[in-house]
Amino acid sequence: MALTNASKVKEDVWIPTCCGQCYCMCGIKVRRQDGVVTEVEGNPDAPTGRGKICVKGLASPHLLYDPYRVNYPLKRTNPEKGIGVDPKFVRISWEEAMDLIVAKMKACQEKDSRGLYFQATTTQASEIRYGVTGFMRAFGTPNYWVSGGGLHCGNGAHFMNGIMHVAWSIIPDFAHCRLPLNFGCSKGHGAGHVAVQNATQAADARAWGSRTITFDPMQSAQASKAHEWVPIRVGTDGAMALGLVNVLLNDLGVWDAEYLKYKTNGPYLVRPSDGRYMRDKETKKPLVWDLVDKRPKVHNDPSVTRVQYEDQAHDVALLGEYEVDGVQCRPGFELLKEHVKKYTPEYVEGITFVPASTIRRIGKQIAENAEIGATVTIETDEGPKKIPKRPIAAHFFRGSQGHVNSGWTCLSIDMINHMVGAADTWGGAMGLGAAVGAGYKPTGKPYQIPYPDNDGLLMCRAWVYDHVPYPLRKPKPPTRLDLHDMFPTSIYNAFTIMNPKWFEMLDVFKIPYRPDIMINFGSNSVMTMGNAEIVTENFLKKFKFIFSFQLYITEFEEAVADIVLPDTCFLERYTPAVSFPSTFSHPTGEDDWGWTIRQPVIEPMYERRDFNVVMMDISKRLGILHKYYKALNDVTVVRYGGAMSDEYKLCEDGSEEHTWEEVVDRMLKDRFGPEHGLEHVRKKGVFTWPKRKEDVYWKWFNPSRVPIYFEYFIDAGEQITEICRQFDPEKKYIGLDWSVFKPLADWYPCPTHTEKNPEFDLHAFYWRAVTQTNSMTQQNPYLDEMSQEDTIVFGIQMHSRTAAGKGIKEGDLVWVENPEGKKIKGWVTLSEGIEPSHLAFAAILGHWGEYMPIAKGKGAFFNDLVMMDEPHTDPLTLNQDICCRVKIYKA
Amino acid sequence: MGSAKLDGQVQSDWRWLIAAYLFLAGVGGGAYLAGVVADLAGGAEWMLVSKIGVFLSVPCVLIGTFFLLADLGTPTHAWRVWMKPGTSWIARGTIIIVIFMILAAVHTAFWIWPFAGPLEVNESARHFLGILGALFAFLTVIYTGLLLGYSQPIALWRTALLPVLFFVSAISTGLMGIMIIAQSMGIAVAQLDLMENIDAVILVFEVFVLAVYVYNAYRTLESRPSAQRILSGPVASYFWLGVVVCGLAIPLILELMGRHGAILTIGALLGLFGGLCLRFTILVGGIYTPMRAAGFEFARIHRPKDPIPAMGKLPPS
Amino acid sequence: MARYGMVIDLNRCYGCYACAMACKVANRTPPGVFWARVLRGEMGVFPNSVRQALPVLCNQCEEPDCMKVCPTGATYKTDDGIVRVDKDKCIGCAYCVIACPYGARYKVDDWKSYFPEGLPLSPYEEHTKQYWEQKSGLGVSTKCDFCIDRRAEGKEPACVQACSAKARVFGDLDDPESEISYLIKTKRGFVLRPEVGTEPKVYYLPPR
Repeated sequence: MALTNASKVKEDVWIPTCCGQCYCMCGIKVRRQDGVVTEVEGNPDAPTGRGKICVKGLASPHLLYDPYRVNYPLKRTNPEKGIGVDPKFVRISWEEAMDLIVAKMKACQEKDSRGLYFQATTTQASEIRYGVTGFMRAFGTPNYWVSGGGLHCGNGAHFMNGIMHVAWSIIPDFAHCRLPLNFGCSKGHGAGHVAVQNATQAADARAWGSRTITFDPMQSAQASKAHEWVPIRVGTDGAMALGLVNVLLNDLGVWDAEYLKYKTNGPYLVRPSDGRYMRDKETKKPLVWDLVDKRPKVHNDPSVTRVQYEDQAHDVALLGEYEVDGVQCRPGFELLKEHVKKYTPEYVEGITFVPASTIRRIGKQIAENAEIGATVTIETDEGPKKIPKRPIAAHFFRGSQGHVNSGWTCLSIDMINHMVGAADTWGGAMGLGAAVGAGYKPTGKPYQIPYPDNDGLLMCRAWVYDHVPYPLRKPKPPTRLDLHDMFPTSIYNAFTIMNPKWFEMLDVFKIPYRPDIMINFGSNSVMTMGNAEIVTENFLKKFKFIFSFQLYITEFEEAVADIVLPDTCFLERYTPAVSFPSTFSHPTGEDDWGWTIRQPVIEPMYERRDFNVVMMDISKRLGILHKYYKALNDVTVVRYGGAMSDEYKLCEDGSEEHTWEEVVDRMLKDRFGPEHGLEHVRKKGVFTWPKRKEDVYWKWFNPSRVPIYFEYFIDAGEQITEICRQFDPEKKYIGLDWSVFKPLADWYPCPTHTEKNPEFDLHAFYWRAVTQTNSMTQQNPYLDEMSQEDTIVFGIQMHSRTAAGKGIKEGDLVWVENPEGKKIKGWVTLSEGIEPSHLAFAAILGHWGEYMPIAKGKGAFFNDLVMMDEPHTDPLTLNQDICCRVKIYKA
Repeated sequence: MGSAKLDGQVQSDWRWLIAAYLFLAGVGGGAYLAGVVADLAGGAEWMLVSKIGVFLSVPCVLIGTFFLLADLGTPTHAWRVWMKPGTSWIARGTIIIVIFMILAAVHTAFWIWPFAGPLEVNESARHFLGILGALFAFLTVIYTGLLLGYSQPIALWRTALLPVLFFVSAISTGLMGIMIIAQSMGIAVAQLDLMENIDAVILVFEVFVLAVYVYNAYRTLESRPSAQRILSGPVASYFWLGVVVCGLAIPLILELMGRHGAILTIGALLGLFGGLCLRFTILVGGIYTPMRAAGFEFARIHRPKDPIPAMGKLPPS
Repeated sequence: MARYGMVIDLNRCYGCYACAMACKVANRTPPGVFWARVLRGEMGVFPNSVRQALPVLCNQCEEPDCMKVCPTGATYKTDDGIVRVDKDKCIGCAYCVIACPYGARYKVDDWKSYFPEGLPLSPYEEHTKQYWEQKSGLGVSTKCDFCIDRRAEGKEPACVQACSAKARVFGDLDDPESEISYLIKTKRGFVLRPEVGTEPKVYYLPPR
């Protein structure tokens, strides 16, 4: 052994790059010794992570070298598809694979390019928002979806946070927030976006005495670290939040009038006849009532506008009735205040299982801790400025929003913040990733300062995907395979494509083409969407040809893939932008801005090829490379805050080809100047510049308002109803209740809450274990071993008393069955840390694939209980309901 | 796959090899003790029984030592155990068994084989050597109990009853060993009967000690998971079938029946097997006590050693 | 001479396992070996039940039981108070594994892969195997040494660096000005199993 050592080149380097085990995109340093990747550490230079990295990132050497990785292109030789079918994969050459793929894609292009469907995983979000969307534009297809994460967490939360905070997500300003109200989300406790940085911030907050209240059906990490755990029935967070808003507004009479008057549409006058704003005849701008001049004024009339906190403005009406043009109208805020009166603590107790007295007490705690009227002075570019100090923040994520009442639940929770003025200011609820920034000074990019529309409402400048949360698109006759064009509030949906009558539906809605080719990028949608059989039979098997960029042969490839391409993992590739747009994976707070890049730590092994490089190759073979370049240039505008300058634009006329490395280099030089290209940035793995305080606490520096009265939903609802009626007048195919499109938030039940059969006596839900990401990391033996350290990860968590009542003991094998007759098997682990009528499942477990032996057979496959039909869809955002009523019995 | 949340981590470093050592050291020490007692108390009539006891001790302890060596991670380093004598029950124990083996070997060599005679003649020297040897036989038998008892985290072992239990079991199994050989050499029926009766009394006493030991273990909160593991958990079959049925009940019944011949041999062999099971049960019954801090109890989750993942299928290459 | 110790703030810790994994990766420990580990505890009855994680590692005791039971002197204390095993002196009797009140020791007889038997080792596992055999050794007792190699490079122990909650502080207990001394003094620092008298040098701060 000594001999071989001596003959080797002694190499020992640490390479800064960016983690890719989940979508958090933490800066890391990876050690390479004699050509072997041996260690991972956080990169202290990167604001995302600041030297910290989680259990999953640390475990990544095993991802790189797993002997079960796909290393060569594979072809399915068994024409039969389906779960449990042996695909009989054989190795083929890259040339053969590309020939097959390109021939199919050319045929698709000739027939109807929209037959191409892109499916991708949230884990590789940075590739999705650049390469994937770029290619779709170049090829000419609108059809895509982000499996799993997308439907489970995306539609409700991101939409509402976009409207209210121009951000993908919200998070307490941990540095100053005295009372974070955590609605069942793990932000700051190991999961969610920017997990590592948030955990640091949350721990600091605990250390200085911040007191968290967590609403959660189980004693999750966030509940166990909270000062108070409020066990709550799954899916009822919205009712809880509206109850708290009611306590604030109607019991205690507490609200932040300054904030509501000048930073929301609360003072906009609404006419009783149809709930619309009263508008100025000429400018069509909504009107507010000036209490000084005693007359209506447009919302941004200088006399009634306060952009900065210290600006002076006339008082405007939040309450009362005023006559405008002969119509008696009232401010939206008053309508809201009236509307929430029905959410009395007693009524809410019946829904949530939380005692009315607790709701009243927490309402009071919010009122006391919000310190309405208090200010702090911060140092800005224009000198010291006063801003409101509001150290409370209600926040949420997948747990609260994965329900039939998704959209309104998210909004209701956030409404707590807006009632007390605790939004994007000192101590309050912040748009995650500091949504606002003026860019690196010398270039002014990435520029992401939001601005108001004609109605004065907040519009984002940079956004993660193509749909922007506001203003809403007008519903249009559908062109997409999921009829998405008709539903302006959603990113994508499952109830259409998972419908057994999907193709009939496409006929009815006059979609002239059918699914043809699916490109899968890293997703295992057989496991990550819902019931595996439904996903496979109703959806995936409808594609004639599926090729998949993948690290393993997952259950998806086994069931349906025709070609598997050996993708590189994150340690083997370049990614030009991972921490931007900042709302996805950049930490909030006063630290610097940091543009992290991903660079290979090691050359791709075997015949693995980087997805990005292969997509360029495919584009070239299809003759659309120049279109692809143009699409990438175009995508940059919204994603990365500003258009590419002519100098660094990718060549759009076909005269020049770029390597992927060059694409990265050009993006960096364009954003940060010619001296800060790849050669410069790769040394530290990140380019940093200072963040202005007014970008962190931007609320009182920006002229926009946010809605608390959703006037425009009335139009949207009417338009959607109308367009559905045009195609499907008898509601044979789409029977969703569009009446939820109304201006004020409400809570409505999931099937879980209305189940009549007493046999199904338990609520089941799933939670995110810190040791796993989606469905992929279960194959990592380090993470598998670590997951076994806590029995609640692989076990089905059940309350000891409930179990005793059913004669179930620790470790018993059980069946869990939903009312639709779908059932899953697992073993029980008993606990006192769960609301007694609930069962909790961790992560996406229960793999059965033969090619992932470490993952196989561990834990219960909860998603098999998830039904992707109309009753489990939120009409407002088309979000997927992921809780269910179940019965449990011994296996 | 079940959960072992309530159990905590099971002691899994010392298993059959150490059990075999503890058992053989017990048999060897016990037989020697019995032999010396027979010599001192029985006189010429009991000479054969006494010689069998002394003769048995060296091979038993020596073979046991080989098991002990086999259990070491690095047996080639075993000599290092002499580097820090007296520091640990393992170092002390090594000295004890070595001295015991030397004394027993001398005793054997000059009384039985190959230099039979000198000690036959010089009775007082033999008695002196016997008493000295018996002292070390006693230490050999009980130090293992002290050795286990030094383990802070395994409450099952941390009791003064363990050396007592080991001692009683050693005497009884030693006697059983002697009886098997003595019978085959055709000693007097009356002597056999007496030995059976003595062993039966010891067995009754052993049942009593064992019952108190297990009851105590169950009553003490720290060792209750261990007691449960032994009484009704994964180790229960070794305990109930091996220790209680084979090791105590059957030999006791057969001894009380007073039958000789094959039945006596079978009873004694089962009793010996029970002695082995007793050591094994106590070793693998050991569970690390949960850590108590800030009002919580933190148990190490038990992981079976070396779980081997299934091969599954490799992607074609 | 410094006397190294660690403080683990249970209020900061949220049980993410990064310390255990960082240790595993930094020390290339084989399956089942956790020089740093995270234990789980639950207290009380619903709805007043609470969960808490307890990160554990070698306590580098002043009066280590493992050293007392070591028959060969393989276990020793360095000048700066760290308890180490001399793998050339260890006979692998596992007495220390059994006697350690904190479960901090692991004896590995055969190096095992994380993947099914019979597969060729990946380059990473080749590396970890070689590293383990050279540094820690087979058939001998192994344990945490506060990342002696990393500290030689001027880095903190891996578990400390990885902790995203900054729950771990490493430092000199003899220096009254050090952060660790300050924390122990002012924040009710305590040790595990004080009754066994091993005088641990890993301190904990209460969970709330």
